[in-house]
Amino acid sequence: MESLHKTTLATWFASSPPVAWMFRQLRELLIGALRQGPIPRHVAFVMDGNRRFARTHHIETVEGHNLGFEALARILEVCYKTGVEVVTIYAFSIENFKRSKYEVDSLMEMAKTKLEQLAQHGQLLERYGASIRILGQRELVDPEVIKSIERAEALTAHNDNTPLTNPTHPKRTFSASHITQSIRRQMLEVIDEESEPSSRSTSPGSSFKVGKSTASEGHSTTATAVETTAGTDFDKDDIPNPVPYYLDLEQMTERTLSDNMLTAGAPPLDLLVRTSGVQRLSDFMLWQCHQKTSVVFLDCLWPDFDLWHFLPVLVEWQWQRKKLSEQERGSRRIKTD
Amino acid sequence: MASTGITPTEAAAFRRGTVDGRKLTPQEREQMMKSHLPDEPLAPSSLSQSQSKSQPQRTSTYNRPLPKANHGPLKTTIHFLLYHTIAFFFSVFFRFRRAWRLAYGKMVAVMKYHHRTPEFIQKDVKRLRRLPSHLSVILDYHESDEYHGNAGLEGLLNDVAEIAAWTASAGIPYLSVYEPTGVLKDHLKHTHRTVSKHLEVYFGAQRKPTISLRAPHELTYSPPSTPRASTDSADERQHLTILLLSELDGRNTMVDLTRTFADLVQEGRVELDQIDSRLIQSELTIHVCSEPDLLVLFSPTVVLKGYPPWQLRLTEIIHIPDNKGVNYQVFLRALRKYAKAEMRVGR
Repeated sequence: MESLHKTTLATWFASSPPVAWMFRQLRELLIGALRQGPIPRHVAFVMDGNRRFARTHHIETVEGHNLGFEALARILEVCYKTGVEVVTIYAFSIENFKRSKYEVDSLMEMAKTKLEQLAQHGQLLERYGASIRILGQRELVDPEVIKSIERAEALTAHNDNTPLTNPTHPKRTFSASHITQSIRRQMLEVIDEESEPSSRSTSPGSSFKVGKSTASEGHSTTATAVETTAGTDFDKDDIPNPVPYYLDLEQMTERTLSDNMLTAGAPPLDLLVRTSGVQRLSDFMLWQCHQKTSVVFLDCLWPDFDLWHFLPVLVEWQWQRKKLSEQERGSRRIKTD
Repeated sequence: MASTGITPTEAAAFRRGTVDGRKLTPQEREQMMKSHLPDEPLAPSSLSQSQSKSQPQRTSTYNRPLPKANHGPLKTTIHFLLYHTIAFFFSVFFRFRRAWRLAYGKMVAVMKYHHRTPEFIQKDVKRLRRLPSHLSVILDYHESDEYHGNAGLEGLLNDVAEIAAWTASAGIPYLSVYEPTGVLKDHLKHTHRTVSKHLEVYFGAQRKPTISLRAPHELTYSPPSTPRASTDSADERQHLTILLLSELDGRNTMVDLTRTFADLVQEGRVELDQIDSRLIQSELTIHVCSEPDLLVLFSPTVVLKGYPPWQLRLTEIIHIPDNKGVNYQVFLRALRKYAKAEMRVGR
């Protein structure tokens, strides 16, 4: 009984306003310090371990997910303040639909309420240039949730185009054995493009997405993710171009595929963090984990994940980068000699 | 929860959206958030203004514009000092950790040395609950000799041969070797000879497992000189398939496949709906390889170096932190870890 007493006393002490304030200041200080070094531009997280956390702490599974969401909010704050540009989060996969209906429903409910709340703060989001995109196969999700997804996305879509002011686009990868799907989707899209005469200007660069969103009335599933990225350079479509346009197959490169991924437009992935000790990618960011992506597997469960776990990861990443650039410089010197 | 710096009232408001049982309006929420919000990022126009006015050289030290460029100089100094302190302490910590891990690795290596005898390796893996049926490794081609004398093609071949021998001894039938530059593919014959010789050292000429060496888009190389069915015992011999992968089999193959599909669709020979992940899966399995069960990295950190992306879906990626170079203890520890890992597939 005494130990319980002690812990309540400790929590009371730790959560008292002055102590909480001190911790906030400490966090700010550490984050500010981190910013002095190189910062990954694109970070991905796999939120793994909510249910196990709930089981070990003898709370309801849904409560575990709630705590997981709080951890997510905290970590997004850290990412924003350190200057990470894009955060991709593995939130829910097709496989997760196999869970109990109660759990899936409450997860969806949570997503809906949080997105709706978010939509109420449009001004705030705009001020910080935050943009939200939900990637994945939406047709699997409840129509009501889709509605709130679309509202939140529409609200923040235009924030994308001011790269100076928006260092963070928190993204929630919402559904699905995401990359496998998206690789396939990309194939579909590229093929779509070529096989269907699409009316659009053939300007290089952003032309892909633009064309897509007109050509695919019937393929709304494939269009969803791309449409948001189309952003403002979207208005040229009212000049119909009757010539069927086929993309030259010879011109198709890695770049083409990357640009057609759901994560199009995001900088290359620098760091992927997976919690709860599972050492797999599980369909997440398969394509994006390329040459230089550091993959980090942590043993802690996601609701426990916080600055205190993320800090060593970031510092180590900075350290490795420093070593890498030193090496490169060294080898270059050898070559020039 | 103590270290988050959030008071209980705030936490409750965040969780339930209520304070004292009353629902919060958006305005109230924003009011509560205010103290937690970071400094506002400056709009592009005002940023350039303030730069030109007060601190013209400040942002030039960064490579790219950061949202909060309006700290005071004192704060920046503190951050700068703190950053270097942290970096210093961590680098000391990392070095100690690496030394400790290397020492531990050496200890395991001494305790569990295989003596080039398959029986020892079999004994090591016998108690494992499960073994991968397809093992994959990532190797590096070192040009310079600073890495423990395994530079160049010879060093690489030696590594491949060693790993092949361990794999065969452990009874794993399929091994794929990923090496970004693809030098091994250019020397299929040479590789085959080296691996074959090496297996002979382990197993002896009589029991030596048969091997076939493959690379995507090339014919399987198994020389005709392999004595087959000469004696009765030859039928019982183990067979090991080795697949050599290079960077070209990763993203490039996916691009090629997309091109092919696009071509077929344009000609109208394939319906668009027919192209789904199952088809891609089977095509890639035929042309490159199936999904490996276990990917062992011999590098100090997990960097995939352009490994074929599609195949990595559910692969267990195991590395021993801070390890450098191919050695048996990494192989063994990876197999042990693999045996312990559980597959839940979303449930």
